[in-house]
Amino acid sequence: MFAKKTAEQIKLETRPSGAGATAFYNNPKYRGWIYQTALFVFLIGFFYSIISNTLDNMSAQGIKSGFSFLNTSAGFDVLMSLIPYETTDSYSQLFIIGILNTILVSAIGIIFSTILGFIFGIAYFSHNWLIKQIAIVYVEIFRNIPVILQVIFWYTVFNALPIARESLSLGDAIFLNVTGLYFPMLVGDSGSEFVYGAIVIAIIAVFVIKRWAKKRQDLTGEQFPVLWTSLGILFGLPLLVLLVTGIPFHLDYPALRGFNFRGGVSVIPELISLAIALSVYTGAFIAEAVRAGIQSVPKGQTEAARSIGLKESKIMSLIIVPQSMRVITPMLNSEYQSLVKNTTIATAIGYPELFTVFAGSALNQVGQAIEIMFMTLAIYFIINMVISVIMNHFNKRTELSSR
Amino acid sequence: MTVKEFKPLPDQPAPITTSGPIAWLRDNLFSSAFNIAATIIIVASLMAVLPDMIDWLFISANWTGATQDDCVKDGACWVFISAWSQQIFYGSYPDEEIWRVNLCLFLLAGVIALSFLLPDRLRNKVSVPAFLLLPFICIMLLDGDMIGLTPVPTNLWGGFSLNVLLAAASIIIAFPFGFLWALGRRSEMPFARSVSVTCIEFFRGTPILALFFMGSVMLPLFFPADVSVDKLLRVWIILILFMSAYMAEVFRSGFQAIPNGQYEAADSIGLGYWQKILLIIFPQVIKVSMPNILATFVMVFKNTVFLLVIAVPEMLQVIMSALSNSNWLGGHAIEGYLFVGFVFWACCFSMSLLAKSIEKKLDTSHKK
Repeated sequence: MFAKKTAEQIKLETRPSGAGATAFYNNPKYRGWIYQTALFVFLIGFFYSIISNTLDNMSAQGIKSGFSFLNTSAGFDVLMSLIPYETTDSYSQLFIIGILNTILVSAIGIIFSTILGFIFGIAYFSHNWLIKQIAIVYVEIFRNIPVILQVIFWYTVFNALPIARESLSLGDAIFLNVTGLYFPMLVGDSGSEFVYGAIVIAIIAVFVIKRWAKKRQDLTGEQFPVLWTSLGILFGLPLLVLLVTGIPFHLDYPALRGFNFRGGVSVIPELISLAIALSVYTGAFIAEAVRAGIQSVPKGQTEAARSIGLKESKIMSLIIVPQSMRVITPMLNSEYQSLVKNTTIATAIGYPELFTVFAGSALNQVGQAIEIMFMTLAIYFIINMVISVIMNHFNKRTELSSR
Repeated sequence: MTVKEFKPLPDQPAPITTSGPIAWLRDNLFSSAFNIAATIIIVASLMAVLPDMIDWLFISANWTGATQDDCVKDGACWVFISAWSQQIFYGSYPDEEIWRVNLCLFLLAGVIALSFLLPDRLRNKVSVPAFLLLPFICIMLLDGDMIGLTPVPTNLWGGFSLNVLLAAASIIIAFPFGFLWALGRRSEMPFARSVSVTCIEFFRGTPILALFFMGSVMLPLFFPADVSVDKLLRVWIILILFMSAYMAEVFRSGFQAIPNGQYEAADSIGLGYWQKILLIIFPQVIKVSMPNILATFVMVFKNTVFLLVIAVPEMLQVIMSALSNSNWLGGHAIEGYLFVGFVFWACCFSMSLLAKSIEKKLDTSHKK
């Protein structure tokens, strides 16, 4: 005969862990506290041992600490700087040069990788079989080869170019040789400030017209040819001022003097190799993102666009791509951030961006690893945060708004 | 009443241009004026480049020989690669001990095959511990000191086998760490969550090269003065931490893909937290995240090339030192880089194909 059991007894018997079910350490609230305290104690111990070891090691090796080294003279030259620099300048000057060079190559990389990515991402949907195959081959080749190898490869190719005397040239204005790329620079003479002013006014006018046209369309439904008017203002106004002031500009052509070219704009091979490799590599990932984005737009959208008689050439730009941006933008965000992080491979070919000049050369001379790595990493975090904020702002505008 | 006489319409000619090669050409290459122009331009440029390239790569290339003097023809000098092949694959690992590297690679392949071949019942019980033990077994084998073989110092390890083994060893150990960090990020304990988020964001936000640099200049400062930690071990630690952060994000997306009902079901049958996570959620997370795990592996595998910057003799570093060898000063850089590029491309491409096929397999399981 079965004895009658209370609910409590059944619970205890059927649950293997029932014995301690009411103990305080099985209460989720206390358990959380126990785990977190253990984690806290572990972290304190961990950091304490790291810091004390570091201090011991630093005093044993005679490494100073603090940021006073920033004011001392660096004593070495950099290959390229966007601001004036001499070897007697301080490490803080060097830091700024590094940041500017990093931003320069990141900006070039972001612009060109986006262009490449969108071209090849959209080319995947071409009706032309050859174009589609080229898009596939581009993506599959360049995304599967380590980017550092690509940088070194382009740098090697660049080093195989002829010397300055036998430069490849385009119309005696653009020259390419082993020391870099040279092209004419536009130099403003007196009166050029009027033209710059006209450009600023034209840009403001375009924004005003765009606003006004949208308002008018919302109110009356009438469309205003915004694109053509803006293009007209954007080019017409500066052109008019340019003619009135008598073209206050001249081109500064690069010319061979001695062993190399002087004048014009010169771009060092390190920058070109790095920019090509980063753009091509990241472009392949962006192309994949664009492809995924376009594929995420339902086929019905294309059919609907066709049914209202939109031209085939307009369907992509007016219907598909704007909708696919919802999927593409978050991916672009992470691709841009990884591009910025990848600029550090400049150190393999010696382009003087932040990592090369600061975590490389400066660290070698000063030896203050902690401070220098901290400053370098902080800049990468800041740049990536800025990209993230901009892209998130852009993302908000492309997000699906449900009413 | 007149009966309308049935008059059949005249037969239409059979459509000759809706199928077959001509139709294919017309639809895919010559469908519009733009496409015709594009096709002509592409074919013309391919014709201009491809024959010379094929000639240089294969036809007039030098395939046999052992020294630079054997490269007599105009084409690529593949002799360079074959002469250095052992270095490229094994680094400076001693000749008579190379079987140890091979054994490690074989064990790796074996453990991977095991996880596919074992019956479901044994799979988790056998292959998970096998995976987790593998890196340590390989280290003991390669080092040799602990198990009575001839010791081989880590500065002799190198080449492509180092790229593969290092990437595999990192991802295997990063697995449990990444899983813990992902759990921490999803946990309701505020302190544990913020620690996990900080770790993940730090290692994801830092350039891998900067991490390697920290491994080579900063990590030695963190250890007690009398402990010297091997360079390769430091690199391994860095790679594990870096991978863990990426794996944590992969797992997080996996967790988000599991319907809430699964958690509730586990709660309703009275499973504890770890039972719920390990028995119910984890297997599903792994299944969903498999393509992303492979993609992460491809990423870390490619990133092992970055080690050349801190002078770890991985594959590209070996090629670069071979290029500066006095017996080979003919400028075979292009051949060397093409070869490294091809090897990495072949590995990464086949893994991305694998990821795609897994994705496809998973896709059908969700469709009704």
